[in-house]
Amino acid sequence: MIDRRAFLQRVAILTGSFPIVSAVAGCGKEPKGPPAGSETLGPLEDRLNIYNWSDYIGPEVIPGFEKEFGVEVVYDTFESSEEMVAKLLAGAVGYDLVVPPTYAVTALRGANLLAQLSVKYLPNLPNLSSIFRGRPHDPDNRFTVPWQWGMTGIAWRTDRVSRPPQSWSVFLDRSWGGKMTMLDDVRDVIGAFLKYRGHSLNSADPSELEAAERDAIAAKKNLKAYLSAPVKSQLIGGDVWIAQLWNGDAAQAAREEPAISWALPDEGSTLWIDSLAVPRSAPHPRAAHEFINYILRPEIGASISRATGYGTPNQAAMPLLAKPVPYPDPGQLARLEVQTDLGAASGLWDEVWTRIKTA
Amino acid sequence: MKRQSRIALTMASVVYLFLHLPILVLVVFSFNQSKYSVRWTGFTLEWYRALLERSDLLRGLRVSLIVGLLSTVVATVFGTLLALGLTRRARPARFAEGLLYLPVVTPEIIAGISLLLVFAQAGIPLGIGTITIAHIAFNIGFVAIVVRARLEGMDRSLEEAASVLGADELTAFRTVTIPQLAPGILAGALLAFTMSFDDYVITSLVSGTGSSTLPMVVYSMVRRNIEPTVNAISTLVLLGTSIGIWLIFRLSRERPLATGRG
Amino acid sequence: MSRRAGWLRILRARPGLTRGLLLAPGSLWLLVFFAIPLLFVVLASGLHRGEFSGVAPGLTLENYLRFADPLYLEVLGRTALWAGLTTAGCVVLGFPVAWVIARSRRFRNLLLFLVVIPFWTSFLVRTFAMIFLLRDSGLVNSLLLQTGLIHEPLTLLYTPFAVLLGLVYGFLPFMILPVYAALERLDPSLLEAAALLGARPSTRLRTVIVPLAFPGIVAGALLVFVSAFGSFLTSDLLGGAKQAMIGNLIQNQFTTARNWPFGSAASLIVMGVVMLAVLASLRVRDRAPRRLSRQAAEVAR
Repeated sequence: MIDRRAFLQRVAILTGSFPIVSAVAGCGKEPKGPPAGSETLGPLEDRLNIYNWSDYIGPEVIPGFEKEFGVEVVYDTFESSEEMVAKLLAGAVGYDLVVPPTYAVTALRGANLLAQLSVKYLPNLPNLSSIFRGRPHDPDNRFTVPWQWGMTGIAWRTDRVSRPPQSWSVFLDRSWGGKMTMLDDVRDVIGAFLKYRGHSLNSADPSELEAAERDAIAAKKNLKAYLSAPVKSQLIGGDVWIAQLWNGDAAQAAREEPAISWALPDEGSTLWIDSLAVPRSAPHPRAAHEFINYILRPEIGASISRATGYGTPNQAAMPLLAKPVPYPDPGQLARLEVQTDLGAASGLWDEVWTRIKTA
Repeated sequence: MKRQSRIALTMASVVYLFLHLPILVLVVFSFNQSKYSVRWTGFTLEWYRALLERSDLLRGLRVSLIVGLLSTVVATVFGTLLALGLTRRARPARFAEGLLYLPVVTPEIIAGISLLLVFAQAGIPLGIGTITIAHIAFNIGFVAIVVRARLEGMDRSLEEAASVLGADELTAFRTVTIPQLAPGILAGALLAFTMSFDDYVITSLVSGTGSSTLPMVVYSMVRRNIEPTVNAISTLVLLGTSIGIWLIFRLSRERPLATGRG
Repeated sequence: MSRRAGWLRILRARPGLTRGLLLAPGSLWLLVFFAIPLLFVVLASGLHRGEFSGVAPGLTLENYLRFADPLYLEVLGRTALWAGLTTAGCVVLGFPVAWVIARSRRFRNLLLFLVVIPFWTSFLVRTFAMIFLLRDSGLVNSLLLQTGLIHEPLTLLYTPFAVLLGLVYGFLPFMILPVYAALERLDPSLLEAAALLGARPSTRLRTVIVPLAFPGIVAGALLVFVSAFGSFLTSDLLGGAKQAMIGNLIQNQFTTARNWPFGSAASLIVMGVVMLAVLASLRVRDRAPRRLSRQAAEVAR
């Protein structure tokens, strides 16, 4: 028979060890210096946890950083920014750098999850082009540093489509029925039709949204599918002739199939910016800042864009690229808008999206 | 009887073909030279070579295997015990059994976010441990359901015979019940491992830094760029697990199999 | 040996203790890591939506009331239809496989593993392989065009057909494994006895095989139905994301719409509906078939 006392002793050891275990587990990650958001940070830590999209960085960037700074980088990837935001909002900690798109920045700031950048550790900041600074999601540039940028437009097969699609109305054109796709994204689809009618793609106006909904449902009949990044292989294969797509992805597809081109619709579209941000709970804020400063170097910024095919916000890196994605000219800039968080209007947009998808 | 068997056999073969056709495609095109194309442009091992540089894929595989094996073992044991506890009673415990379906009924994002909230509030650091905890939680239900299906209407006479012959409950349990249950337990364990190995939503929500599983790495790769490198690692996983299974099979052959049919 | 005899004495004296010990580990785990988190969800469903996400204080029923909209009910109904079709497909395709495996002596384990092995590749990768097969310029169409059976590529992808194919594919093991586990009990001599007694194949199927397999079929059907109910990725990837399933709706609440309370309420409603279906099916299972399987077992004696 097991001695009752011995049994209770064992239980006590098991449950008592739990907080010790968690403390030990967290031990190595305790921040040694002031927390993120402080003006002055502590000494360089030995580890950096990055949370980013996959395949969104040059292959030599991380090893180069690790070697030069002696920091071990742990690189985790997410498959949708919304998933990353949900995770952070639910309380996940441990990440030093995250890469949210513009609308997510507003949400994260609203939930007080982002730390203000300690600019004294970012002497390379002036390398950034002013086009991507001072935008609505971060007007004073206190929280984010742009990582990559792009535009949403229309990719098309030059050998199948006679005229370049210069308007969002192409999706309402029945003659291309069954050969067109739009992105499977609530902001991009509804946003496109808002722009088509001359409204803002951040609109919360019910009548404007109603019009966009009608257009979107009318367009749906002509769509083969709602496809995001995977549409590239269909474009290359010729299954899809016209696709709502980002310029970087279109460029990647064009490398495999030269008969693919990309156009920015006349009515305007989204200028998207993915930015680096430091969560307030970052355990290694100094390392995070050194990394940001590192990628702001012209040659590193160039290597990232070379690998991803997207635009670099680093003006100093532009001359180093053989075929850089050109910055939008003033005419294009006037037609481009940055997506901000919809706040309370998200519910309205979600209803519209559900109705489009149920039609 | 023979004709019936032939129909069943034909249908089963068709289904097996159906199940393995995409896999075959997957394997074959891991050797294709072209990155995106449907056409066969030439044989190459380049994607397998590229795998060696993708340490993230290899690390992901390691995490998936650890979590998979650990959670399968624990969930199978707990789930089997649960199934046994639910069956051994006078009146059917329909409500309690219905509760077993709760983890299956719950949308993954709900289960994931709520578990993440609990971990965050309790200050439990996210990592391989939290992933394993989550996997065990949803797998217990699956195992219990499958084992229950086996237990339902199982012949108790063998156990009665054993006790008549002088065996106590524990011996009867060990030598009669468990072997009879074995196919159900195996089926449950297989299901649990599969669910764990392939899980994405819950896993990604409760994972911590540096604890990405293979699906997490693959999903984020595939969402943006379907590369044959993904095909290559999938092929290797298939190969690896097939060899592993074959080895286990050979080793278990040494001992005479108890069929439990008396 | 005396220690063990001591334990057995205790267990025999208190039959509830045995059951308690059996149920304890699993139930405790589920309680702590599943039920308690679920309480958070219940709580959230009664709160207001936070401005940027999460929740804001204030109890309200608005999330539940909002679900009563015909729009959401339509999505729920369509999802139920798809889940039902998938279940039917899995029963039809899964039963023969389970039968063959259960009857096979030598290759049983191999056949079992062959069922499961495709699912040890990632879901997305498998689905993309299916897309690769089914698309306009895909393998199936290429072969059909080459052999001259068709002149224009068939639209296979982004159709309800593709979605059903993908759903049935994805949930087949959920049906095959439980049915196999139940069928494996079938003693071939039972069938031979029935045949000797003059029963036709269809009678043997009806009075011996199906009753014995019934618990497995119910378990499998429930697993498939419930899982298919919550699935949405297959419909997105193979159906071109043109139809919203209830899973899409719930997913959206936690991602783009950032309305956690509504997402929680919607989930709880859906879970409630599905649980009712589960309980009803379990009742059906518990009634007649027990009698039948006992009859069948007596035939053997």
